[in-house]
Amino acid sequence: MSAASDSPLARTPLFDEHIRLKGKMVPFAGFDMPVQYPLGALKEYQAVRDGNAGIFDISHMGQVRIKGADALAFLQYLTTNDVSKLVDGQVQYAALLNEQGTFIDDITTYRISENEYYLCINAANRHKDVAHLKEHAVDFDVTVSDESDDTVLLALQGAESQKLLQKLTDTNLDNVGYYRFALIRLNGADAIVSRTGYTGEDGFEIYIHNSDATAIWQLLENSGAVPIGLAARDMLRSEMGYALYGHEINDRVTPVEARLMWITKLDKGNFIGKEAVVTRRTEGPRQRLVFLKLTARGIPREHYKVVADGKEIGEVTSGMHSPLAGCGVAIAYVEPEYAAEGDLAIEIRGKPVPAERTTSPFVRSNVRK
Amino acid sequence: MSIPADLKYTKDHEWVRIEGDTATLGLTDHAQEALGDIVFVELPDEGNTIEVGDAFAVVESVKAVSDVYAPIAGEVVGNNEALEETPEKVNEDPYGDGWIAKVKISGEDNSHLMDADAYSKLLEEE
Repeated sequence: MSAASDSPLARTPLFDEHIRLKGKMVPFAGFDMPVQYPLGALKEYQAVRDGNAGIFDISHMGQVRIKGADALAFLQYLTTNDVSKLVDGQVQYAALLNEQGTFIDDITTYRISENEYYLCINAANRHKDVAHLKEHAVDFDVTVSDESDDTVLLALQGAESQKLLQKLTDTNLDNVGYYRFALIRLNGADAIVSRTGYTGEDGFEIYIHNSDATAIWQLLENSGAVPIGLAARDMLRSEMGYALYGHEINDRVTPVEARLMWITKLDKGNFIGKEAVVTRRTEGPRQRLVFLKLTARGIPREHYKVVADGKEIGEVTSGMHSPLAGCGVAIAYVEPEYAAEGDLAIEIRGKPVPAERTTSPFVRSNVRK
Repeated sequence: MSIPADLKYTKDHEWVRIEGDTATLGLTDHAQEALGDIVFVELPDEGNTIEVGDAFAVVESVKAVSDVYAPIAGEVVGNNEALEETPEKVNEDPYGDGWIAKVKISGEDNSHLMDADAYSKLLEEE
């Protein structure tokens, strides 16, 4: 389940299911993935937002197990967040930075025990992340195991998620709180289940072995979970203002620009990129992430220019028409002087469409806190 | 795949209904299916003069922006404003409520327009 840039597309273990369900397959991060199913992106999005539940195959993402006496110290050094705050069964959003303080990836860190952690990493960055982790692991008493090829990751998101997932396990899912996880048996199979997600709805992320995947996917789909493709997934996370690597975060911006200082704990001790981030914070960001709502008709899209005072002062990183907000919404980088002041517009087909600053999420989050 | 017999078609998947010197036009069933859910339509302004092949309107789906090419030359005398509120009509009723514009025809050479059979053959070859 791995891909190199010049080989044919990789397939997840659920490829046959996507074909059976008539998914429209497209290349993504070296994988052949369903961008949507016959229901269409808009109705798939609505299934998650409108109180139903959607099931996503996100097995293209990577999973890495970190084990050893120095696991905590290693992750404290490699990630931006304070890993010492985690208890067993807790999850944390974090970033991997390079020495320039810019992003290698954004990840989630699961603490299984003091000496064992599980990382979920982006599909597009998997090999880069693993190489980076292994390079630094030599300095610590720790092993880094890339388990991506043997792991299927499903997301089940939407108000009905717990009801549907509960049918597959005796573990009371009420006991798995937000950003917590449990090692449970799902349909008799070993699984890590966390109450996390990328949609802003209540739901779960489910890590299982390849051989158990089809049965679990089919059980959930048969009990009413709607298969959701990548297009709807992108709509859901964009409405929440969640970062996507390659858009809001990349190797040219630091957490200061990206508004991710809340996962960057400068008081926890040294970590890769810390010094650069401290410097950037003192100097001021070189650009600043803003959340914009269009106040006239139009759909903002990635790469559209943000204009103010008759000139280009920024660029959209993610944009869409938000059905819930009823208008165009955009995440964009702008010159720092325009982060809080000045009238902004987004240029759509040569015409400036006025936009006002707002905060994320663009629509209400329903995650169960 | 719906291809009404009484309409004319272009290779860019637009349809035209000619009634006297006025043409109503829109996107075919094939086009709307290929585009996916339409979430935005940019209509041509009334009074615009268009030539065959001009990108005179835009439809946006969730993932993409697509030009609509003028299937016929003339002056835009009407546009379907309802699509501003309910762009999904292009998907739901491409030949009816999903019409995009009305044009007062100026050119006489409409040999580039094909009939339903020819359009159907074109789709088979795609």
